[in-house]
Amino acid sequence: MVINNQQKILEVKDLKTYFFTENGIVKAVDGVDFEVYQGETLGLVGESGCGKSVTAFSIVKLLDYPGKTVDGQAFFKGEDLLKKSEKEMRKIRGKEISMIFQEPMTSLNPVFTIGFQITEALEVHYKMNKIKARERAIRLLEKVGIPIPGQRINEYSHQLSGGMRQRAMIAMALACDPVLLIADEPTTSLDVTIQAQILELMKSLLKQFNSSLIMITHDLGVIAEIADRIAVMYAGKIVEYTDTRSIFYSPLHPYTFGLLTSIPRLDMEIEKLESIPGAVPDPLHFPEGCKFHPRCTFATEKCRKQEPVLMEVEEKHLVRCWHFEKVKQEARKIAFTGRLTAGE
Amino acid sequence: MNRIIKKLLSNTTSLIGLILLFVFILIAVFAPTIAPPLFPDPYQVPRMSWDVEPQPPGFPMADDMRFIYESLGKPITRDKAIFGTAQGGYDIFYGLIWGTRTAFYIGIVTVTLSMLIGIVLGSIAAYFGGWLDEFLMRITDIFLSIPFLVAAMVLTTILGRGLDKVMIALVFFGWMGYARVIRGSILCAKEDAYVMAARALGVKDFNIITRHLLPNTIFPVLVQASMNIGSMVITAAALSFLGVGAPMGYADWGQMVSFARNWIIGSPGKAGEYWYAVFFPGVFIVLFVLAWNLVGDTMRDILDPRLRGEL
Repeated sequence: MVINNQQKILEVKDLKTYFFTENGIVKAVDGVDFEVYQGETLGLVGESGCGKSVTAFSIVKLLDYPGKTVDGQAFFKGEDLLKKSEKEMRKIRGKEISMIFQEPMTSLNPVFTIGFQITEALEVHYKMNKIKARERAIRLLEKVGIPIPGQRINEYSHQLSGGMRQRAMIAMALACDPVLLIADEPTTSLDVTIQAQILELMKSLLKQFNSSLIMITHDLGVIAEIADRIAVMYAGKIVEYTDTRSIFYSPLHPYTFGLLTSIPRLDMEIEKLESIPGAVPDPLHFPEGCKFHPRCTFATEKCRKQEPVLMEVEEKHLVRCWHFEKVKQEARKIAFTGRLTAGE
Repeated sequence: MNRIIKKLLSNTTSLIGLILLFVFILIAVFAPTIAPPLFPDPYQVPRMSWDVEPQPPGFPMADDMRFIYESLGKPITRDKAIFGTAQGGYDIFYGLIWGTRTAFYIGIVTVTLSMLIGIVLGSIAAYFGGWLDEFLMRITDIFLSIPFLVAAMVLTTILGRGLDKVMIALVFFGWMGYARVIRGSILCAKEDAYVMAARALGVKDFNIITRHLLPNTIFPVLVQASMNIGSMVITAAALSFLGVGAPMGYADWGQMVSFARNWIIGSPGKAGEYWYAVFFPGVFIVLFVLAWNLVGDTMRDILDPRLRGEL
């Protein structure tokens, strides 16, 4: 499943994005490295507030005041996006990198038809004329599975259902054949059956367009469905980074382990569903040492004092934990079998 | 759009406003037929006599005046001042009819221009935020702290007499309300996901403001503008009344009222003797402002989502 010899589309190095608030500096993203290969899907997983969306917005430079990317590089096709001007970025956004958002209800402008919004991207980037752009928009709507696209194109967002709107958003995002797609919780606000449809659609479209995808979600079920590799984030840092199969079969970080044990399972008799104690730490006052230690069942004195680094402890399996061996054993004991085998 | 028109027509108050407005539009359009001009410049109000004091309704044209107009070559179709004459023999009826055009002109032009300035400054401030917002809004605050009428008067005095000068003054000190309203609605709307979606598509800031944000935020401003057309006309009339407005003899409602300035109380023993000199111009101004306010009020009711039950 891991793609070895393919071209790197995006390489993020030591990305640091801070928010300069009145109460102090919030290190929302604090040294994140990852890469995305051609045609693959990378999942960014984590709880709310762990910095996964900020990471994505930093890459395309859509962060608003008071957020600021203070350090790092994001090489896209060999060029550092973070060094580009707003004007250059505008040419990349929507054309080479496009985004899909969480709220299909509000991501479409209520005063325009969906056709207008799809053709807008084409007009901006290809200077296409109205008739041609419209034809292409109809074809796109057909591709994303919207019935009677010739009629739907003239409808307003309030006339469409949630699933249809998200399909229209995907059509907008795909309008200019982007190389990289960033989807920020695209299925969160949809109900489960529609979620599955949208995920299937995205998978098949990615194959068709040979685009890469960064999938941001807190839903492990969604990520198992679609991702090739996964980066688990916690408190602004990647804590585990490997292929999907390894994450689900042999997690090495206590946080990943905790997330997996908190998923209800049908194939095992478990009396009580585990949950991770505590909550995401206050970003203004991160704990010393390992940021996860107050919530971690494996924590020792060392964790309280010294923050672990992201180490490659197995082949292509990076983890930020002093006690990954213990986690591995624990995980084996519980034996994640059968379910949650992604993409097979 | 159909819904708006239907609502406007179904509501009694708005219907009254619309009818009044329609009548004023008719008066403005057909001014040359209702009151045929006697001078080459139609906005020059003809005088019926050389009398200093106002003359009552039905006052006939003096012979020496008739001689002058005949020598100018225009046919004299009306030789009676139906609303009487103002100070100096100016025909009140004529001044009011042609003054309707002036009123529309002043109201619409000043409101449009100040609205444009307000929209540009307000949307730039709201969209870009930060120090630019701070800067533009402090300028707005400074302008707001100056008393409108006094400021407009001073500026008109500096610029010199004339309707265009009055309008410049009105625009110069009249854009702040629009800037604030549009800033408020854009600040609110720019948090919507579709703005981020448009940015993520690579749409230019200018297009995001004009194509995505303004169509969603402009209605409160339009409502405010329609209500302000009336008050702009009042202010222009006030300036004319104070003597810094339109040039002498120009068909303008404010000027007509200002002609009555010395005659409001009447003469000793005959209070209100010259009532017509104040009454008719006053009625025109009041009805005009009322019409715009009624229409603006209904527009607000229709366009305000809170009032139409969508929120």
